[in-house]
Amino acid sequence: MQHIDPEHHDGTSDATPGGDETCRRPGELAFAALMLLASLGLLWSAYGISGFEALSSPGTVPMATTLVMVVAALIVVVKTALQPKTTTETLAKDILPGIVIIFAAMLVAYGFLLKPLGFIPTSALFLTASIKILAKRSWAWTLLVSLGSLVVIWLIFRIVFTVLMPVGIVPEAEVIQFFRNLLNGAGT
Amino acid sequence: MDFLTVFTQPQLLLLVGLGTFAGIYVGAIPGLSVTMAVSILISFTFSWDVYPAISLMIGIYMGGVYGGSRTAILLNIPGAPSAIATALDGYPMARRGEAGTAIGVTTVMSFIGGFVGIAVLALAAPLVSDFALTFQPRDYMLLAVLGILLVGSLSQGSLVKGIFAGALGIAIGAVGRDPLTFTERFTFDISLMQGGISFIAVMIGMFGVSEALIQLHHVDKAAVRQKITRIVPSLATVRKHLPLSLQTSTIGVAIGALPGTGGDIAALMAYDHAKRVTKNPERPFGDGAMEGLVAPETANNAAVGGAFIPMMTLGIPGDAVTAIMIGALFIHGLNPGPMLMIDKPDMFWFIVGALVTANFFILIFGLTGIRLFTKLVEMPRSVLIPLIMLLSIVGAYAVNNSITDVYWMLGFGLFGYFMRHYGYPLGPVILGVILSRLLDDNWRRAIISEREDFWRFMEGVLTSPLSLVLFVSVVLIFVSQTPVWTWGKALLSGRPHKVSGNEQHD
Repeated sequence: MQHIDPEHHDGTSDATPGGDETCRRPGELAFAALMLLASLGLLWSAYGISGFEALSSPGTVPMATTLVMVVAALIVVVKTALQPKTTTETLAKDILPGIVIIFAAMLVAYGFLLKPLGFIPTSALFLTASIKILAKRSWAWTLLVSLGSLVVIWLIFRIVFTVLMPVGIVPEAEVIQFFRNLLNGAGT
Repeated sequence: MDFLTVFTQPQLLLLVGLGTFAGIYVGAIPGLSVTMAVSILISFTFSWDVYPAISLMIGIYMGGVYGGSRTAILLNIPGAPSAIATALDGYPMARRGEAGTAIGVTTVMSFIGGFVGIAVLALAAPLVSDFALTFQPRDYMLLAVLGILLVGSLSQGSLVKGIFAGALGIAIGAVGRDPLTFTERFTFDISLMQGGISFIAVMIGMFGVSEALIQLHHVDKAAVRQKITRIVPSLATVRKHLPLSLQTSTIGVAIGALPGTGGDIAALMAYDHAKRVTKNPERPFGDGAMEGLVAPETANNAAVGGAFIPMMTLGIPGDAVTAIMIGALFIHGLNPGPMLMIDKPDMFWFIVGALVTANFFILIFGLTGIRLFTKLVEMPRSVLIPLIMLLSIVGAYAVNNSITDVYWMLGFGLFGYFMRHYGYPLGPVILGVILSRLLDDNWRRAIISEREDFWRFMEGVLTSPLSLVLFVSVVLIFVSQTPVWTWGKALLSGRPHKVSGNEQHD
C-alpha cells in the first residue's frame, strides 16, 4: 500500500499542504528573502504610479497591496530565520532534484521551439523525451505511447475544441484538406 | 424553464456527463486537481458557446469533489482537499474489507449533500442578489478582502504566507494599464506588459505545471490495483443516516457560501459535528464509523452549491474553483454579480440545472462505473506528468494565441513549485488575481463618493450594519494571529496527520 511520505513537505496534490511549519527547509530562507526584495521592488514601482496624489488614484491599491506584501514577507523572513534548520533534507534531493531541473529546462525549450517548429513536431519531441526519461521503457513502447497520445490530443483539440496551435513546419491545413477531400470523395 | 435547458438538449446533457466522469477521474487521482482541470479547460472551451463550456466545467467540479473520496477510502490518500476528512473513517473501513460499502455510502451521501446544496442555491441566491443590490462599493471591497483572507487563513499553512499570497495575487491582477485612467501599473516600460498578465496563464501555471513538477518527486510510486465488491448501500443504511446527513449538508452549504471557504473546511467541520452529535456509533470514530463518512461527504458536496451563491450573486468566488469559473464567465463576456442575476436569470437557472444533472451523474457513475475507473486510475505517472505539462502549454497558448502567455505560464509554474515547497498557499493568489479589479474599482468608487476623505469613509463603514460586520470579520481574522488561533488550527489540521501517523506503525 502506497502512502504519501509524511517526510516530504512538497504540497503533493492540493490535499496535503506543502512546507514544514516546524523547521526551515533548504533554500526556504533564500526564497523568503527573495520575496521580500521583490516586494520592496514592487512597492517602489507602485509608488512610482501616482505617488501620494490622491486616495482614489490608480496607485493607491497597488501601494497598499505591495506594502502588505513587504510586511508579510518581512514577518516570514524573521520567522523562517528563527526556525531550526531541517536535518533530513537537502536542496538537491528534496527541493530541486535533477529531474525537476531537466523538466523545467525541457518546458522552456518547448516554449522556444513551439513557434518555429510547430505544435506537432515539438510535442512529439517533448512527449517522447519525457516519457522515455520517466518510464525507462523500450523505445518502441515510448514511441507508441507518446505518438499515440499526441494523435489523440491533437484530434481532440484541433477537432473538438477547435484550438489553433502554431503549425510551424507541418502543412497542417493541407493535410486536413486532403482528408476532407478524401471523405467528400468517398461520400459522393 | 431555463432550469430545464440542460435536460432538453442532448449535447449539453452529454457534456455534463462527460465532465462529471472526467471530474471523478481527476478527483480520484492524487496530483490531478479539479482546480487544475477547470483552469486548463477554460482555455480550451473559450471558443465555445457559454452553455456547453459551463456544462463541462460544472460536471468536472461536481465530479471532482466526489472523486476525491475514492482514493481517500482505498489508499488513505485524499485525491482532493475536500476528502481529507473522508479518509479518517473511510480508509479503516476499506482495511476491514468494506471498501465497496464505504464507496456506496459515500456516493449516496454525496448525492444527498449535493442536492441540499443546489436546493439552497436555487432558493437563496435570488434573495441574496436582491439584498446585494443594496451593497455599497465599500461592502464589495470589504467582501473581496475577506474572501482572500479567508482562503489564506483557513485553507492551509500559515496566515502570513496566505496574506502574502493574496496580496501578490492582487498585485498581479493590477499589472497593465489601469482601466479608468490608462496609467501604466507594474509594466516596467515593457510594451508586452501593458495588456496585463493573462489570469489563465497564472492559473494554469500555478495549478497545472507546478503540480506536475511536484509530481516528479513521486514518479516511481506504482499505480495501485483495487478490488471492490458490493457497493449499492441498503435503504436501511441510508435511512438511518438521513438525519445526520441533512445536518451536515446544512453545515456544508453555509461554509461553502462564505466567500473564500469551500468543501475542505466544510468537510472537517461536519466531521467534528458528527463526532459531537453521534452518541453511540457502531464503531468508534477513526476506526471505520459510518457517520465519519457520511458527514464530510455530504458537507463537501453541499458546499459546491453553497460556493455558487456568492459567485452568482456578488461576483465573489466561494473557493478557488469558483474563482476560475468567474474567469470563465468573464471570458464569455458575462460579469457575475447582482446585475447578472437580473439581466440574465436564464444563466443562473441554467447553472442550477447543470448542477442537478451532474449530481445525478455522480450517482450513476459512482455506483456503476467502478471497473472502468479502476483501469483508468492505473495510468502510470510517467505518462500522466508529460501529458499534463503538454496540456498546460496548449491551454496557455490557446486563449490568446500568444507565446508570451506560455512564458508567463511557465514562469508562474516554476514560481508555484517553490511556493508549494515552502508552504505558501496558491488559492489566495488566484482569488487575488480574480478579485483585483473588483477591489480596486470599488475602493476608488467608495473613496470618491466620500470626497477623498478617509475618515468619512471609515465613518460610513462603522455606521452601516453590513459594512461593520464585514469590517469586524476582516479585523478578527487579523487578530486570530494570536496563540488562541494557532491552538484552534492545530486542533483542526492535527487530526489527518494523526491518522496518517498511526498508519506508519501498522
